[in-house]
Amino acid sequence: MQVMNELLVILAENSVCVLLQMLLIIPLAAALLLFIIPDRFQMAKGFAALAVTLYLGYIAIGLWSVSPQMVPQGDLIIRDCLAILNIDLLQKAGESVTFTVDGLSKLIVLSISVLSLLILVYSLLYNKSKRVSHFYSWFLLTLGCSYGAVLADNLILFVIFWGILGITLYKLIPGKDEASSAAAKKTMILIGASDTIMLLGIAILWRLTDTISMNGISVETNNILAVTAFLALLVGSFTKAGAFPFHTWVPDFAENSPATSSALLPASLDKLLGIYFLARITGDMFVMSDGMKVALLSVGVLTIITAVLMALMQHDYRRLLGYHAVSQVGYMILGFGIGSILGVVAGLFHMINHATYKSGLFLAAGAIERQTGRNDISDLGGLSAAMPVTFASALVFAMSISGVPPFNGFASKWMIYQGIIESGSGAGISSQLWIVWLGLAVLGSALTLASFVKFIGGIFLGRRDPALAGVREVPVLMWLPMALLALLCVFLGVFATGLVIPKLFTPVVGPFTFSGLWSSSLVSLLVLISIVLGFLIYLAMGTKRFRTGDIFIGGEKIEKLGASYPAPEFYKTFTEFSLFSRIYRMAEAKVFDIYDLSKKGVLWLSGTLSTAHTGLLPAYVIWVCAGLIIMLLIMT
Amino acid sequence: MNPLIPLLVAIPLAGAFLTMIIGRFITGIPRYIALATLLLTAFISFWLLVAGGGDQSVYIMGGWEPVNGIPIGIHLVHDGFSALVLCIISLIGLLSVLYSISYIARYTSGNYFYALFCLMIAGMNGVVLSGDIFNIFVFLEISAISSYALVAFGVEKNELEATLKYQVLGAVASFMVLFAIGFIYWSTKTLNIADIRAVFSEGHDRSYYLLIQILLLTGFGLKAAIIPFHAWLPDAHSSAPSPISAMLSGVLIKAVGIYVIIRLFFNMFEITGAMAVMITTLGALSMAVGVFLAIGQWDIKRLLAYHSISQMGYVVMSAGIGMTLLARGVRPEVAALAITGGIFHLVNHAAFKGLLFLNAGAIEYSAGTRDLHEMGGLARPMPVTSATSLAASFSISGIPPFNGFFSKLIIIVAAVMARFYLLAALAAVVSIITLASFMKFQRYAFYNGEPGRIGKEIKEVPLPMLMSMVTLAVICLLLSLLALPAIRDAVLTPATDILIDQMKYSSQITGM
Repeated sequence: MQVMNELLVILAENSVCVLLQMLLIIPLAAALLLFIIPDRFQMAKGFAALAVTLYLGYIAIGLWSVSPQMVPQGDLIIRDCLAILNIDLLQKAGESVTFTVDGLSKLIVLSISVLSLLILVYSLLYNKSKRVSHFYSWFLLTLGCSYGAVLADNLILFVIFWGILGITLYKLIPGKDEASSAAAKKTMILIGASDTIMLLGIAILWRLTDTISMNGISVETNNILAVTAFLALLVGSFTKAGAFPFHTWVPDFAENSPATSSALLPASLDKLLGIYFLARITGDMFVMSDGMKVALLSVGVLTIITAVLMALMQHDYRRLLGYHAVSQVGYMILGFGIGSILGVVAGLFHMINHATYKSGLFLAAGAIERQTGRNDISDLGGLSAAMPVTFASALVFAMSISGVPPFNGFASKWMIYQGIIESGSGAGISSQLWIVWLGLAVLGSALTLASFVKFIGGIFLGRRDPALAGVREVPVLMWLPMALLALLCVFLGVFATGLVIPKLFTPVVGPFTFSGLWSSSLVSLLVLISIVLGFLIYLAMGTKRFRTGDIFIGGEKIEKLGASYPAPEFYKTFTEFSLFSRIYRMAEAKVFDIYDLSKKGVLWLSGTLSTAHTGLLPAYVIWVCAGLIIMLLIMT
Repeated sequence: MNPLIPLLVAIPLAGAFLTMIIGRFITGIPRYIALATLLLTAFISFWLLVAGGGDQSVYIMGGWEPVNGIPIGIHLVHDGFSALVLCIISLIGLLSVLYSISYIARYTSGNYFYALFCLMIAGMNGVVLSGDIFNIFVFLEISAISSYALVAFGVEKNELEATLKYQVLGAVASFMVLFAIGFIYWSTKTLNIADIRAVFSEGHDRSYYLLIQILLLTGFGLKAAIIPFHAWLPDAHSSAPSPISAMLSGVLIKAVGIYVIIRLFFNMFEITGAMAVMITTLGALSMAVGVFLAIGQWDIKRLLAYHSISQMGYVVMSAGIGMTLLARGVRPEVAALAITGGIFHLVNHAAFKGLLFLNAGAIEYSAGTRDLHEMGGLARPMPVTSATSLAASFSISGIPPFNGFFSKLIIIVAAVMARFYLLAALAAVVSIITLASFMKFQRYAFYNGEPGRIGKEIKEVPLPMLMSMVTLAVICLLLSLLALPAIRDAVLTPATDILIDQMKYSSQITGM
């Protein structure tokens, strides 16, 4: 009884320290608890997870008012609990467990809370058909570890949380059939490999600076060791966020896992974490040299262009979204590559925007898949009337991701362009090449629009397949999160300069100014006015003189293609273009996939080595003798 | 003089004979005798670990006290390092026996199995405890001969071929060890490890000393399956019944191979730079080559067996890094870190590799195959096996929060701190390939389609087998706690200290 009282006293203490630990311990404990409950009570588990998530969101909002500080966890809750029972196992451990609460981590914690809550609400009905076993446990583990990774200041602690996220990612793919088990394997190998490489980077940092506290590290990238550490940590961040050339797990994951898994990890949380860590690496822990900046910027544009080109030729809408989840990361990297305050803000803003619209898009994709059971854009069409809310939200998301004003994607992309132009006046190679970065970034944005025309047109517009006549809108618990995300997209876009940037981002980086005049609300107003004017003109002119006819391409009617026109056909122009066609063929053969390349190399070496193992005993005895003799020769 | 120490050898030895005698008259009893034996051994080992607090305690057989600082009797030495290895032996042994209760029921002559099992435990405990090099050889042979018989337990073609190779190469190893012991005795006139060190430190012929070192390294390297002396291991470890594979890979190669190498090269021989580099190289070579050999395998148990080579490479390499630093006399705290990492990994490997072999056994028990091509979709009919093997796979691949992550982290950090950057990078690459090959195992065994193609009803294995696997999986998770400073200081640091501090080991034995 007394023990209970002492526990309650500890928990009632409302310090930052306790808040932080609650943020970690509650989801982890709840996740373990939910593992015990069988999946038959799926709904009950879902609501329990919802309650936990809501409470965590409440704590996260409470955290927002905390002033930036380092929190050394001298008094760990678990340690106190154990101390009551007279066990002091965690003595000395508390010193190395440090957390940091600053503008950046508060921002990410808040975004994680909001996005995960919306995705969880959606998944209550979506996961009724048991797509992933123990979904809610893995969900809560993901949530707790994400909070942990964002708040941790100690790099080892950080990498532990970061690594557990790899496990949850792996377990969120069902793996039942051949393709999805291959995707799970590939995902885990790439993520695990990057984590191991990060360990190397952390070890080198430790050796260089004698500390593993992120706040205490500031290294110039001017010698080979520092550069290696920098690159090793970048690999971790890039793989998590899905940047070229470590991105190849993202499309596979998106294609083979349920929409909630894709929306939760690759679309939002992994991006938030990967870019968060990128911000820590480039902003806090290292001082980038010009060469490093060029490297980052090149990776950024390469990511944008390669992924968007791959996205253009996809038929499966989930895979298409997966490639876009990669392509958008390029913009964020560009922001950090510029390195100016404007660039960093733009990168962070784009990260948050991307999380909203991309998780929204995956949720929309999940809704379509749930209602139609089809994954190929060519088989779909004309769903706008049947699923109006999904259509409207998907349209907003698509315009956001393509950078159409006044949505949020435009705001952040515009800031990135501004940042690049501004950096053009600086010195160094990275600045001299500003026009290259700018041109490719804008081209990427245009190609994104092109592929989303396919997405929207192919799925929602056109004529509906008669077999899909019975399709209905998803239940309210599923469309509400999408609608809210869409509203968020609009809100973040319209009030970007007036409200969002000063309130959310200025605390992170400090005050800064935009180059030139730009007010997002004004722009939105102008866009609205022009749309209204255009509509009025349309009405005033009384333009009723249009006719309906059959679809034709190049003057030829297409009749044999069935009820709806297959949108992907239009994009064949790209793949058949002679320069691209070879590259596309090579990409299809996975020549550029770092995973398949290394796999080939490893298996070749493995085969070569195992040919020596003939199974003949005399040979083995000779090896032993040879080993002995060689050792003797070397040593004497 | 702790009277419990000799019991660790005596109890399993008695258990072996009792099993045979009682088993002749009453069937069905031997397994419980073996279980009780192991339970008792495990209890004593853990009691000694906890109560001993890492202090060295010496038991002199027959009470032959040292005369003028020269030990004349046989010493059993229990210190921080041997305490850890003893705990591993008895714990994995206990869980393997528990597992065998269902698993071995399919074989005939279970009596022999349990008797040999206890004998093997007695041999390993003897090797670990003995402070006398000839005694080490005797116990080494006891454990080796019982393991030859156990590998052949299935008496099929494969098993017999494997055990033949194992015996021949084992005999080569024993010959070299005996040869080296002869040399040692010839020049020092003593067999006690501490005393040998004392005599050698008074002066020795360098090339003679080197010959002894290399003969012992080759002999015990063969037992530890360090490349290029590894060729027997994949056959032997994959042909044995699974609980025995778990013992062989999880414990035997450590107790009679790695443990002895580390013990002799830290506590008996003077640490020299050249030898340290040689050991580091052998470790790195095993680590790298082993994993490449492993990833190409489609037989689960062969895959696991090759991984044992690779994982032992980590241990040997980090011990070698520690030796190198000690030989140079620089950064002793990094040397301690490297050795701690190695010992930590040794303990961890026992847990996860034991578990993996038990998982492989469970799959073989239910699905009747060891070939990854023929499996698939076992996650649904065998949820516990699937979950525990996932835990073990993540452990061996170094994914947090499992134990393998922490030991690999320490090893990589220590290598970087010691400025062996390439070795650190190699350790990381090997870890990645390990992950890849275990993801392959997971994919083809548990996912990737329906279990229908095996063509029979697949059920989860019986309760005793499940209990062993779940316990080991929990241990895999709990061993992570060894990374916490308070627990590390209580468990791992004494083991490191006894290796680094030369005087500490010999002071009690020679009575000085």
